Amino acid sequence: MTVTIVFGDLWDTLLSVLKALGPLLGVFLVYQGLMLKLPRHYVWGLLKGTLVAVAGLILFLQGVRIAFLPVGEAVGEALGGLSQRWFLVPAGAFLGFLTTWTEPAVRVLCDQVEKASAGVMRKPTVLIAICAGVALFVGLGMARILYGIPLLYIVIPGYAVAVLMMWFSEREYLSVAFDAGGVATGPMAVTFLMALAVGATSATGDLDPIVHGFGLIALIALAPILSVMVLGFIFRLKRLRR
Amino acid sequence: MLTYLKRKGVEVVLAMLPLIIVIVVLQFALVGMPVALFLQFLAGALMAMVGIALFLVGIEAGLLPIGEAIGSHLPGSRSLPFVLAVAFLMGVTATIAEPDVIVLTGQVDSVSGGAISGATLVFVIGIGIGFFVAMAILRIVLGFRMVYLLTASYLLIIILSLFTPAKYVPVAFDAGGVTTGPMTVPIILALGSGFSSVLARRSAISDGFGLIGLASVGPIVAVMIVGMVTG
Repeated sequence: MTVTIVFGDLWDTLLSVLKALGPLLGVFLVYQGLMLKLPRHYVWGLLKGTLVAVAGLILFLQGVRIAFLPVGEAVGEALGGLSQRWFLVPAGAFLGFLTTWTEPAVRVLCDQVEKASAGVMRKPTVLIAICAGVALFVGLGMARILYGIPLLYIVIPGYAVAVLMMWFSEREYLSVAFDAGGVATGPMAVTFLMALAVGATSATGDLDPIVHGFGLIALIALAPILSVMVLGFIFRLKRLRR
Repeated sequence: MLTYLKRKGVEVVLAMLPLIIVIVVLQFALVGMPVALFLQFLAGALMAMVGIALFLVGIEAGLLPIGEAIGSHLPGSRSLPFVLAVAFLMGVTATIAEPDVIVLTGQVDSVSGGAISGATLVFVIGIGIGFFVAMAILRIVLGFRMVYLLTASYLLIIILSLFTPAKYVPVAFDAGGVTTGPMTVPIILALGSGFSSVLARRSAISDGFGLIGLASVGPIVAVMIVGMVTG
C-alpha cells in the first residue's frame, strides 16, 4: 500500500465535488446578495458547514474508491468461482442490504422523512424497508447473471407493478418511495455492488461482463420504490385492523 | 457542532461496521486477497467512515439550510416562469457536475462505439433532469396529484424501452440511478421541502418529496431517445 494509491486521483475527486457544489453556492450567493439578506455570521456558519460537508464527501469518495471497488470485485470473483454457484444469490442479497445500510444519501433522506412527517414515518423503519428492497433485487440481479435473464424481463414487469401500486398507495409513501429509488443508487452501491456484479460475471465465465454487469443499478433503483410502497400498505392494514 | 459530530459518529460506525465485518470474515474464510490489498481496504474503510460523519454534519449545518432558504424564497417571487426557470437551471447545473454522470457517459461512449460524444450526452441528460425537476415544481404549484405525473412518466419509459436498441436499455436505466448523487440529493430535497413549506395547503411530506424520483426519469428517457436516434 503506497501513498499514491491512497491519495491518487484526489484532485479529480475534489474537482468533481466542487463542480457539483458550484451552481448551488452561486445561486445562493446571488439570492443572498439581492433578496435574502441573512445576517452575515449566519451565512458564514452555512459556508463553514458546507466546507465540512465537502471535506467529508471527498474523504468518503476517496475511501470508497480505494477500499470497496477492488474488494467488491475480489469478493464477486470468489463467490462466482464457488462450485455451488447459487450461493451468489443469497450472498448478493445479504451484501446488498449491508451496502445500502451504509449509503449516506439514504440516511439523509430518512432523516428528512422523519422530520417532515413529524416522526410518523420513523427513520429506522424506512431505512430497513429500503435496505430490504435492495437486498431482494440484488439477489435477483445475481440470479440474472447466473441464468442470463434479459434485464427487460425484470425491469418492465417491475415498473409496471410500480405504476399499478402507486394508484393504491398513500401520497406520503408514494413521494418517499420514488425518492428512495433515487438515493439507494449512491456511491457505495455504484462502486461496491457494481464491482461485485462485474467480478461475479467474469468468474462465471460465459457472459460478457460489460453487458451483464450493467443493469444492476437499474434494479437497485427500482427496489425501494416497491418496498417503501409495500411498507405503506402494511401500515394501512395495521390501522384498518384497529 | 461537536456534540452533533459525536452523535453522528456513533451512527456512522453502526452503519459501516456490519459491512466491514462481513468483508473481513469473507476475506479469511473465502476470498484471501493479497495482504496489501486487504490493508488498503481497511485504510479506505476508515477514511470513508470519517468522511461520512463529516459529510452528514456538514449537510445539516450548511447545505440543507441553504437549499431550504432558496426553496422557501422561490414561491414569493410570484412569477411562475421565473420559478420554473430557476428549477430547470438548478436541475441542469447540478447534474452536469455530478461525478457519476461523467462515468456513465464513458459507458455510453463505449456502447455506441463513439457515435455519441460524451459532451452531447451530458447535455442531453442535464436537459432531461432540468425538465423533470421543473415539472415537479409545476406540479407542486398547480397542486395536481403526483400519481398522474409518475404514471405518465413510467408508462413513457416502458413504451420507449420496447423500441430502444437492446444495448442501450441497461445503460439508460442505470443513467436514472446514478445521476442523483450525494451532493444533489440534499440540495433537491431541501429545495422541495422549503418550496412546499411556504405554499398554503401543501403537505411537507407528500409534496416536498418526490422530486428526486421524478428527476431520475429524465436521464432514462433522454438516453433511450438518444439510443433510438443513433441506433
